[in-house]
Amino acid sequence: MMAADSDPESEVFEITDFTTASEWERFISRVEEVLNDWKLIGRAVAKPPEKGEYTTGTWEEKTKEINFADFKFSITHHYLKQETVESEGKEEPEEDALPLAMQDLLCMNNDFPPRAHCLVRWYGVHEFVVISPGTNCEAIISESKCNLLLSSVSISLANTGCQVPVFVQIQQKWRRMYAGECQGPGVRTDFEMVHLRKVPSQYNHLSGLLDVFKSKIGCPLTPLPPVNVAIRFTYVLQDWQQYSWPQQPPDFDALLAGEVGGVEFGKLPFGACEDPISELHLATTWPHLTEGIVVDNDVYSDLDPLQAPQWSVRVRKADNPQCLLGDFLMEFFKLCGRKESTEDILGRNSVEEDGKENSDITHALSKLTEPAAVPIPKLSVTNMVHSARKRIRRHRRVDESPLSNDVLNSILLYLFPDAAVDKPSDNNESKAQQSNPDGKTEQEKDPEDYNLYNQLKSAPSDSLTYRLALCICMVNFYHGGMRAVAHLWQEFVLEMRYRWENNYLIYGLAGGPPDLRCCLLHQKLQMLNCCIERKRARDDGRKSATAEGVRERKVSGCENGRLGPESAGSTATAGGMEVSPGKSWDSWSDSEDEFFECLSDTDELKEAPAEGERSGAKEASKAKPEGRLQPHGKLTLLNSDQPLYIPVTQEPAPMTEDLLEEQSEVLAKLGTSAEGAHLRARMQSACLLSDMESFKAANPGCSLEDFVRWYSPRDYVEEEVTDESGQTVVRGDLSARMKIPGNMWVEAWETAKATPARRQRRLFDDTKEAEKVLHYLAVQKPADLTRHLLPCIIHAAILKEKEEEAAEDIPSVRKAIQQISSLASKLLRHPNPDYKKLEEIINQIMVVEAVIARARSLKAKFGIGKGERGEDAEDLERFVSSLLEEPEVAVIGAGRGPAGSIIHKLFVSAQRLADSTDEAALLAPLEEEAGRGGGGTEDRKPAGGGGVPDFPPPAGREILLRTCVPRPAPYSKALPQRLFCVLMREEFRLAGAFSSDTSFF
Amino acid sequence: MDDDVLTTLKILIIGESGVGKSSLLLRFTDDTFDPELGATIGVDFKVKTISVDGNKTKLAIWDTAGQERFRTLTPSYYRGAQGVILVYDVSRRETFTKLDNWLSELETYCTRNEVVKMLVGNKIDKEDRELDRSEGLKFARKHSMLFIEASAKTCDGVQCAFEELVEKILQTPGLWQSENQSRGVHLSDQQKQGAGACGGYCSLT
Repeated sequence: MMAADSDPESEVFEITDFTTASEWERFISRVEEVLNDWKLIGRAVAKPPEKGEYTTGTWEEKTKEINFADFKFSITHHYLKQETVESEGKEEPEEDALPLAMQDLLCMNNDFPPRAHCLVRWYGVHEFVVISPGTNCEAIISESKCNLLLSSVSISLANTGCQVPVFVQIQQKWRRMYAGECQGPGVRTDFEMVHLRKVPSQYNHLSGLLDVFKSKIGCPLTPLPPVNVAIRFTYVLQDWQQYSWPQQPPDFDALLAGEVGGVEFGKLPFGACEDPISELHLATTWPHLTEGIVVDNDVYSDLDPLQAPQWSVRVRKADNPQCLLGDFLMEFFKLCGRKESTEDILGRNSVEEDGKENSDITHALSKLTEPAAVPIPKLSVTNMVHSARKRIRRHRRVDESPLSNDVLNSILLYLFPDAAVDKPSDNNESKAQQSNPDGKTEQEKDPEDYNLYNQLKSAPSDSLTYRLALCICMVNFYHGGMRAVAHLWQEFVLEMRYRWENNYLIYGLAGGPPDLRCCLLHQKLQMLNCCIERKRARDDGRKSATAEGVRERKVSGCENGRLGPESAGSTATAGGMEVSPGKSWDSWSDSEDEFFECLSDTDELKEAPAEGERSGAKEASKAKPEGRLQPHGKLTLLNSDQPLYIPVTQEPAPMTEDLLEEQSEVLAKLGTSAEGAHLRARMQSACLLSDMESFKAANPGCSLEDFVRWYSPRDYVEEEVTDESGQTVVRGDLSARMKIPGNMWVEAWETAKATPARRQRRLFDDTKEAEKVLHYLAVQKPADLTRHLLPCIIHAAILKEKEEEAAEDIPSVRKAIQQISSLASKLLRHPNPDYKKLEEIINQIMVVEAVIARARSLKAKFGIGKGERGEDAEDLERFVSSLLEEPEVAVIGAGRGPAGSIIHKLFVSAQRLADSTDEAALLAPLEEEAGRGGGGTEDRKPAGGGGVPDFPPPAGREILLRTCVPRPAPYSKALPQRLFCVLMREEFRLAGAFSSDTSFF
Repeated sequence: MDDDVLTTLKILIIGESGVGKSSLLLRFTDDTFDPELGATIGVDFKVKTISVDGNKTKLAIWDTAGQERFRTLTPSYYRGAQGVILVYDVSRRETFTKLDNWLSELETYCTRNEVVKMLVGNKIDKEDRELDRSEGLKFARKHSMLFIEASAKTCDGVQCAFEELVEKILQTPGLWQSENQSRGVHLSDQQKQGAGACGGYCSLT
């Protein structure tokens, strides 16, 4: 406008006015625009589709929305993705070559594709556009509207020169009625359709349909070139009764009643509760017939399915069959969203006392310091479990408990096998220490499976945590839901407290500090075990330290003779762990003046006087060395010829990830200023200081240089120097940074007193940490617990599926399981997993389960694994596994091959069965109807001797007629004509594509 | 002020004692070199915001002590790290041969699979070089790491190393985005999160 104004001279030659364009014109131009956008204009170069390419290739689609006035249509481009053929020296196709869609009409490479858009099946096209009413828009039903729409298409195609066929969807959606058009240079194909509820009797066979086809073509030529015919009959097998679904849901009550009940808690159930294969569809195909070769009319038919040259089978899978593992997981997962606390569930009364017990740490502490709390000698773990139970029963009557005693007993025995009555407790405890008696074997079985826990952040499959997860899952599903979960958890926490108070290690946890690769709950339990271990060491140390004196005066605990062997055993263990407590951040700031003592190492005691004598001459080491671990190689102290000893040091404090998180937050909060950095170093120097004190105690007369040579050897620089006498000597010195005046190492060294680790202040307060863990456990709601254990359950489910798959060997499942694992690994290692996505994982696990169940079902039906060996069995196996993976599988040898004969038998016996039940039930009317509807062939051709045909009437018959004749005039170009007929019990459809010459008519 | 920061990344510096980890960090954050830098005790922590390709990124860098005894403390700091810088001293071969140990520790404790690893050969200003650039290069290739030689003293390669590392992290899908999201959601937690920077819990794989 501006330009026009400033340049009035510029002339307007022509004005095209679109302001009054009608809605219809606008619609047409919109369609053209879309065709242009998608670059569907002009001729595409492509080679004809290969045999089977419609199945193997990928179909893609693009959709846009367009409006006709305010009526919404969606326009979709469907196409088979083909690698674009670079025309290598090929000249451009002739100008008047037929559009690809017209060539497709006659192409026989992809008849009856197992999985494709219906238009592909009916018309054989590999690229087309569909305009259909938008979602929530009513169907185009009136004839005038249909015509208007079709005209729009016609005009758009003519305007743009687009050679891709365009269809419009008319009538109700479910009827799948389309009309369409394809235009090429001087040629046009009209796509028309007839859809009826019933098959008119005159068209219920090949000859009738041929008549329709020919009359529709109306070809003036005589004789008419022969029509090419392809036929497919589909038979449906629904009755599998003779192969009843083998899987029964396990009877859990029965399992529990038996003695072995507890063992079953370690297993997840698996499999479908109903047959996951609902139908088998057998398609018998005559792919290439010429009119006149076969006879199929109202009185006779040559089309015997057993004689068909091609058989193919597809199976219909039951939608979401109920599967046990999936149900288990889902129910468990649902718990994650619950809000109730244990108290809400089990009632105030029962929990009140526990609550007090658990939350009132001071009370618990005072209880621990009472002499009574010191280990009760030789208490079998069974007694422990029982007495823990008694406590709970005190405030809850048995009948109120969600879990019955039997169930609870079996679970507890499964969780704590060390509590079994007949095993001596010492034995079990030593096992408990090395995690699990059969941990090794599990680990050896398949290291990849075993290590899955660190990918999923769950817990090792032989650990207590993992077993707890299985029990919680089971209890939730079969023994009372969330109430039972809360109950079991309460029992579990009680057991934990009991073990802590009585110095019994928790069974089934790897020793050592919490494994940060596991879930937090597992770490917490490991932490508790660390505390128990250290407390035991301390108690044992104290005991044996005073033992000598005590024994003489009072035989106290040893009186019954039981203490003897046990204390000996535990002294040995304690000896190895003398130095248990380590640094803890909490105790760093603690001012409590607690020293911990351990038993003196007897070796050391023996050694000490000897050393003292020897070094007595040296004035440097007046002090008696204490707390030596071992000599540090051949090093000797710089100021004397004493060997340099590595001291016994305090062990690092075990930490769970939440503690570590807290700790690094504290450190980070100090900021980045110099003071902050200094304070940070100070806070962390507790460990350094403790090590220095131990070092000083072990090496009387040592210097900082000595310490550095052990602790940070690179900070002691040795150089070869030539001294005055000309000899080369090695001279060492602290590194520059260690010599900075007032640096923290020097500072710490000066403050450090010679104190062996065992007399230093305890840096790890096991009592406090244990109470923290127990409190943490006690306040977990069932939902919290479920979230803690979800990784373990997913882990267990994956292992279960791997195991089940291994029995069936299904490649696609193997791949799916791998994908599930890696996705789960990503999700579960996130500190706040996305529960929506985890639900998706569970759904995928369910899908895998269903696939495996289907494989089992099919194998049972085809009698695989019943001992038959040989080539046939192998072929059969391959056939069955392809049934699962592919939409449709060809039967090698058709009706005469091994698979074919089994299928034949299946049908025969289903027929017999149906026949006998029909007779019994006198279902005459039904049969009559069946006869009228789709049973045409059967009526005409009684097969089999006993009056019962081998096959039921076909559920569907598809007849494809093709020819290439001039139309509409004899001198017109010969063009592809095609009619696809679908005959079913309640549907009759004729889909015709009729081409005509638009230049010569 | 924090608003335009794209994300906060946690970086960890590890390697044998005395290879110059703290010096590299000091050079990067304060652009100074202190020949009298005390041996680190436990871990130290610094923050710096840098801009890579126009994206402002806040780095929370944890500098660890190299001494054997302190290593019992450090596993916790691997948690949630998106980038790890492994440092060796080109003038001391034993610091290079120990890299395998550090690497296996890294594999054990890192909570993410895709953590970006960078190998830095420090102290190239020194006369008595014992290690060729090619050796470092070979090691880095073998373990799919970034590699650069640097000198905290002369400033060579330091800035570049950190920038390269950050760029790589930002290019790695799934390594940092989700954190960004969670920052968006937990606005109220921002205070806490800022202070905690990237303490262990940021692992968002």
